[in-house]
Amino acid sequence: MQLAFFFDQTRCTGCYTCVVACKDWHDVPAGPASWMRVATIERGKYPHPFVAFLSTPCYHCAEPACVPACPVDAISKRHQDGIVVADGDACLGKDTCQLCLEACPYQAPQFGAEDNAKMQKCDLCLERWAEGKQPICVAGCPMRALDAGPLEELEAKYGQVSQAVGLTHNDKLRPSVVFKPKPEVSTLRR
Amino acid sequence: MSSERNNRPVEIEEVVYATHSSHCGGGCLLKLHVRDGIVTRIETDDGEEPQYRACLRGRAYRQRVYAPDRLLYPMKRVGNRGEGKFKRISWDEALDTLARELSRVKQTYGPAAILFKWSGGDTSVLHNAMCHYKVLNMMGGCSDVWGTFSFDGGLFAELATYGTVDTGNTRDDLLHSRLIIMWGWDPANTIQNTNTAWYLAQARKAGIRIVSIDPRYTDSTAIFADQWIPIIPGTDAAMLIAMAFVIVSENLHDQKFLDTYTIGFDQFKHYILGTEDSIPKTPAWAEAISGVPASTIESLAREYATTKPAALIAGIGPGRTAYGEQYHRAAMALAAMTGNVGIHGGSSGGRSWPTAGPIAYFSFGRGPRSPRNPVEYDAPPRKNAIPSRGIAMRRGQVNVAKMSDAILKGRAGGYPTDYKLLYLVDTNYPNQYLNINKAVQALKALEFVVAFEQFMTAGARFADILLPTVTSVEKNDIALDGATGFYGYMNKAIDPVGESRSHMAICIDLAARLGIADYNDKTEDEWLREMVAGSNDIADYDTFKRDGIHKLRLPEPHVAFKQQIADLANNPFYTPSGKIEIYSQQLADMNDPQIPPIPKYIETWESRNDPLAEKYPLQLVTTHFKRRAHSQYDNLPWLRELQTQAIWISSSDARARGIKDGDTVRVFNDRGETVIPARLTERIMPGVVDIPQGAWYDPDDKGIDRGGCCNVLTKDEHSPGGAYCSNTTLVQVEKA
Repeated sequence: MQLAFFFDQTRCTGCYTCVVACKDWHDVPAGPASWMRVATIERGKYPHPFVAFLSTPCYHCAEPACVPACPVDAISKRHQDGIVVADGDACLGKDTCQLCLEACPYQAPQFGAEDNAKMQKCDLCLERWAEGKQPICVAGCPMRALDAGPLEELEAKYGQVSQAVGLTHNDKLRPSVVFKPKPEVSTLRR
Repeated sequence: MSSERNNRPVEIEEVVYATHSSHCGGGCLLKLHVRDGIVTRIETDDGEEPQYRACLRGRAYRQRVYAPDRLLYPMKRVGNRGEGKFKRISWDEALDTLARELSRVKQTYGPAAILFKWSGGDTSVLHNAMCHYKVLNMMGGCSDVWGTFSFDGGLFAELATYGTVDTGNTRDDLLHSRLIIMWGWDPANTIQNTNTAWYLAQARKAGIRIVSIDPRYTDSTAIFADQWIPIIPGTDAAMLIAMAFVIVSENLHDQKFLDTYTIGFDQFKHYILGTEDSIPKTPAWAEAISGVPASTIESLAREYATTKPAALIAGIGPGRTAYGEQYHRAAMALAAMTGNVGIHGGSSGGRSWPTAGPIAYFSFGRGPRSPRNPVEYDAPPRKNAIPSRGIAMRRGQVNVAKMSDAILKGRAGGYPTDYKLLYLVDTNYPNQYLNINKAVQALKALEFVVAFEQFMTAGARFADILLPTVTSVEKNDIALDGATGFYGYMNKAIDPVGESRSHMAICIDLAARLGIADYNDKTEDEWLREMVAGSNDIADYDTFKRDGIHKLRLPEPHVAFKQQIADLANNPFYTPSGKIEIYSQQLADMNDPQIPPIPKYIETWESRNDPLAEKYPLQLVTTHFKRRAHSQYDNLPWLRELQTQAIWISSSDARARGIKDGDTVRVFNDRGETVIPARLTERIMPGVVDIPQGAWYDPDDKGIDRGGCCNVLTKDEHSPGGAYCSNTTLVQVEKA
């Protein structure tokens, strides 16, 4: 079984609630490490701009590039639910290594501001699943733009679109995510 | 906060249900995990829909409670006023000093010399600024100011047109619309009631067409709108009036509705068609003013008049301009012309953010009552005040926009009194007040300044006595919200941090020092129980307190003026005529050409055509920022890192000035200067720049603001109807 995210890009207003809820729940201080990020994508020229938002956690890829990249096997993919987890104690630290970050196209491996910070990342709130709760970002999204669950169930519910504005699907890694992408058209009609 | 928390099992934590309430425009359920008296993490509503899910500000509340700049004990000023140098003192010394100064000023100059000013703060029903107002009124009164920062143009227009400020529908009614016009309305950023953006997302999903009129391509525009119509700030009334021209010319108006429910349409028609002043208010006329192509105005007018029901939601930002009430009056006239008032899916055209929500369906007990303020109630009624539902509002003779000027000039400047003592509660003066540099002079001219605050804000630095108050999670209280109706119980989750205290606890001690024996006779719990007992909505206090929220289940969405439309004879409008007043005799009687009896377009000062535009060619708007609620939350690291305080400037305006994205720029006019990074964007109309309001004023030794605070630039002026003119400002931008 593979747990996965769903993201509805047609309703995300870029409010960052997922980012802050995640930092609070996982006690991640302000600073460079953020397990969840929201990108603003702006294109076009006035008066025909285009704007979309993309929330980016770890996509817990079917074939995660970070796992083989780690020289000390500090990253592993749980076979019961496909969640990719990091062992901070085993990590060599950002001053020494960062090979996982170089390997990941989605910047999922995160490092704090401290000296030789150890890698940390989204663990899909695995302890919340045990309590029957959704990840903190999903449960908190004011726009109900996020969902999470077994990939097959999400695909049955939302379809199989695997890319969105700002994110190209990677056939090799196969990120575990389903999208409802925002159509790339300007909303100006005169 | 504790970093070792994750090593402890979750089970031993207590979870306290509370409502998040700040001056954010919403109110949401927080589930506070508490361990050993410390808030450790936060969840939100996962119960029945509609869930009241907290946004980023509520989720960051832990950093608010434990902020390093949280005020932990009373302090007195030791340096020069505004220098920010303080010394810790005891509560006894602080309150003794305050009581002594209040008595001295009252005896020496009279009670009017005490100027009381408050803002929304963490909006709630018990522990709020009214605790202080009651003390001051029981000791003989104080001066107050009238006017809100948010929407006085809208209030004035609503009272003239409908005789009430209760003009809004519940947000779920948007789903009954066939067309939603977001006029200067960006609820993705301004919230304007929890879940409003969520209802818009549902409307979009349901295929309801949404049009946005705004100088900026806002986040709401980007996500919800089918069409964006950029417009020059301050010209909204012109476009609305030209839409009226199209509707009348093409005979698309609802004459039967106008005949039945309104008065004065003919006078408006004379103005629109130009039979009054020889200027037909054609789309071409409005194009020259607003920058909106005539064909766009024509098609939107036709669409609005022929798509029924249609909800024209008049955002309050365009009303914060030099003649803001004319925009609001024009929006209401259009709503009446198209027969969209009082029907599901329509809109009265009133303010996008109703004052207390649809007051009509709330039922709640009264809390502590303050005696009337003799200083203001015994004063002559202020000029141009309009009664609300027949009752004259008597609160202050000086508009909030003129507060600094009144302090500086007093009687000599034509103001009612000379002000000596400034009593500030939950308000960031000078930060959120127009023309900061004048406000700073005013602060320095006073004999005594007391401020009640949670943090060392830009304003707190100017206090002589600075008193620490609790956050929402350190006392019991109740919040309520109208347009997505709910009552929220704000459970006390932890003890007050440091020596901070609740407003009520402070005021009980202050009243005793002033010799006011009968100030209070109930505990916090008794007051809250009494208020809930006065509610028909909430059956049981303890259940409400346990759940933290009571969601109102209305049989159908609330629609303002539904009764009037269904049965006018028995439910007249609250105006003198009993009808919707497109022509207002009350306004005519004011005999002021700047307050016409029908909605008119009046060009603002500091418009693009003002000679001043040669020197300061850019129009500044001051919008809401996601990571703040006005100036609240600007100090929280989790939020600060999300968005840089920067000025939005169009790439063409930037190019003409040699400015690149991220460059530090000077933004200035004759009133002041701020230095701020530039954010180049295609999302703003050329000629317009935007500094999100609320950043904390941070002057350098030359008095130049380094904090990105827009109000060093704004003009301390209000519209004839009372609107705070924070969106009528000309500036220049140069590379620093």
